[in-house]
Amino acid sequence: MRARTVLAAAAVTLALPLLLPERHLPVYVLLLLAATVTAGVSLLMGYAGQVSLGQAAFYAIGAYAAGLSAVHGVPTLAGLLIAPVVAALAAVVVGAPLLRLRGHHLAFATLAVHLILLSLLGQGTWAGGAIGLQGIPPLSLAGVVLRDDVGYAYVAWGVLAVVLLVSRNVVDSRAGRGLRAAAGSEIAAAAGGVPVGAYRLVVFALSAAFAGLAGGVYAFYLGYLAPGSFPLLLSVEVVVMAVVGGLGTITGPVAGAAVITLLVQALNQLGTRPGMPSYAPAALSYAVYALLLIAVVRYLPRGIVPAVAVLRRRTS
Amino acid sequence: MSDLLGYLLTGLGIGAGFALVGSGMVVIHRVTRVVNLAQGAFAVLAAMLTATLLATGLPHGLAEAAGVLVAAGAGVLAGVVAIGRPGTEPGAALIITLGLGVLAYAVEVTVWGDQPRSYAGLPGAVTLGGARIQAHHLLVITVTLPVFAALTAFFRGTDPGKALTACAENPYAARVVGIDVRRMGLLAFGLGGALGGLAGVLLTPVQQVTFDSDVTLIVNGFAAAVLGGLTRPGVTLAGGLLLGVAQTLIAGYGGGAHQLEIALLVMLAVMVTQAVRAGSVPEAAR
Repeated sequence: MRARTVLAAAAVTLALPLLLPERHLPVYVLLLLAATVTAGVSLLMGYAGQVSLGQAAFYAIGAYAAGLSAVHGVPTLAGLLIAPVVAALAAVVVGAPLLRLRGHHLAFATLAVHLILLSLLGQGTWAGGAIGLQGIPPLSLAGVVLRDDVGYAYVAWGVLAVVLLVSRNVVDSRAGRGLRAAAGSEIAAAAGGVPVGAYRLVVFALSAAFAGLAGGVYAFYLGYLAPGSFPLLLSVEVVVMAVVGGLGTITGPVAGAAVITLLVQALNQLGTRPGMPSYAPAALSYAVYALLLIAVVRYLPRGIVPAVAVLRRRTS
Repeated sequence: MSDLLGYLLTGLGIGAGFALVGSGMVVIHRVTRVVNLAQGAFAVLAAMLTATLLATGLPHGLAEAAGVLVAAGAGVLAGVVAIGRPGTEPGAALIITLGLGVLAYAVEVTVWGDQPRSYAGLPGAVTLGGARIQAHHLLVITVTLPVFAALTAFFRGTDPGKALTACAENPYAARVVGIDVRRMGLLAFGLGGALGGLAGVLLTPVQQVTFDSDVTLIVNGFAAAVLGGLTRPGVTLAGGLLLGVAQTLIAGYGGGAHQLEIALLVMLAVMVTQAVRAGSVPEAAR
């Protein structure tokens, strides 16, 4: 990534919250949060070669950690910092046994973890049960209470920037190279001295921390959490975003999240127009996830971002 | 005592359904190495279609058969999309089947809406050894057992079955002796669709279906299949029955809503134990 491109992208995305009409800001915030979670999935799938179908579980864990701590009087900024830590710890506890699994076994195991968590949250009265956790205060930084969407837009932007920066540094590090080697051939990497198991666990925890951090912002932004906010389909959605954007790239998650969020949003508008049947929004968004995922895996197996890069190289 | 027997028999009925879903995954995985995440969608599709056909007045039997046939067709279609392109890796195919499962949601919500559906199964209850159980559970068991027997006979005793097994053992060698591996893969997907569809039409009278019931079915089916290493239909049957019985016992003796979690924990424990015992997992052939 050229420094100039990065600066231009930063300037545009920083200016956007001020330029966008108020009613579009929630989409902007949710898009950035989705991109943050997707960055973790992309790291996990692209660099560590692991498919997680339970990433939204860590999003939920972060959100509940932040929400519960804030409800019990912990300062909100501390709550926001607790969220990724709790999510990462949960990932270590879950990942230590489960990361012995590979491929579809691991994909299923992470799906199972998500289902178990949903059921625990639904039955746990300490977490508000199925009704949900209410009355989460808004985020406050140094005495300033963040109530407007614009404020959250900047917080979400900052969170995504931090996550992308961490991603890039991890990928460029010695550990990152080891991981890429392990994704290619685990035996060869291990023979080459890469502590594959430890690295995998670290990336799993890191990707969970990303999801947890995004979850924390989500909790303060909405002020309300319920198990229903983190359906299984959300885990699928971030996988779709990661695959569509391009695994193993830094900008892929952002591109994937933007393409899918905006497309689903546009179809939602179309689906809720008067005269459309009540099932239209749901059916349309399912169809978008499905068709994009299938088309990308079949025809652009490396995702949009690498495909665009190849196209640009050819034309220039 | 009669409570226990009732739970056991009911559990066997439910477990037979899980085993059917799992066996569909096993048939597909054996031949193509693809774990089919759309397996539950076949069941839901067949069940929804059967409910509609029954509502239009088609007699029982015909409606169920139509449901299973359409599910088999959907299986072949899923196979075309998932493995139709030469050189698709099983990992990519897994993601494609995930997409197909979500696509099925779009179709099902559009055609049938998001409300649960059901239809009447075999009416009445039977008293066996002092335990009353729904007759329909016995029907599920008496249909499933011959299906598994037929499946085993098919793989062992018929030419297409042997060809499928050959693809499962060694795709390269199968190709060398003139077996069309891709066509066998599609056949496996069709068979998997039919088995999933059968599970759907059999279970619907005792468990309502909604468009997203496929998650529960896949999780339980996969748990059953994973016991047999995703390759052995016989062990899958045993696994499914065990799981069904365990869940009904837990529900019957007060575990209430925790059945699915226990199935999941069992599945996780089995998978991790298998992985540990296998030591370092052999790498996927490239």
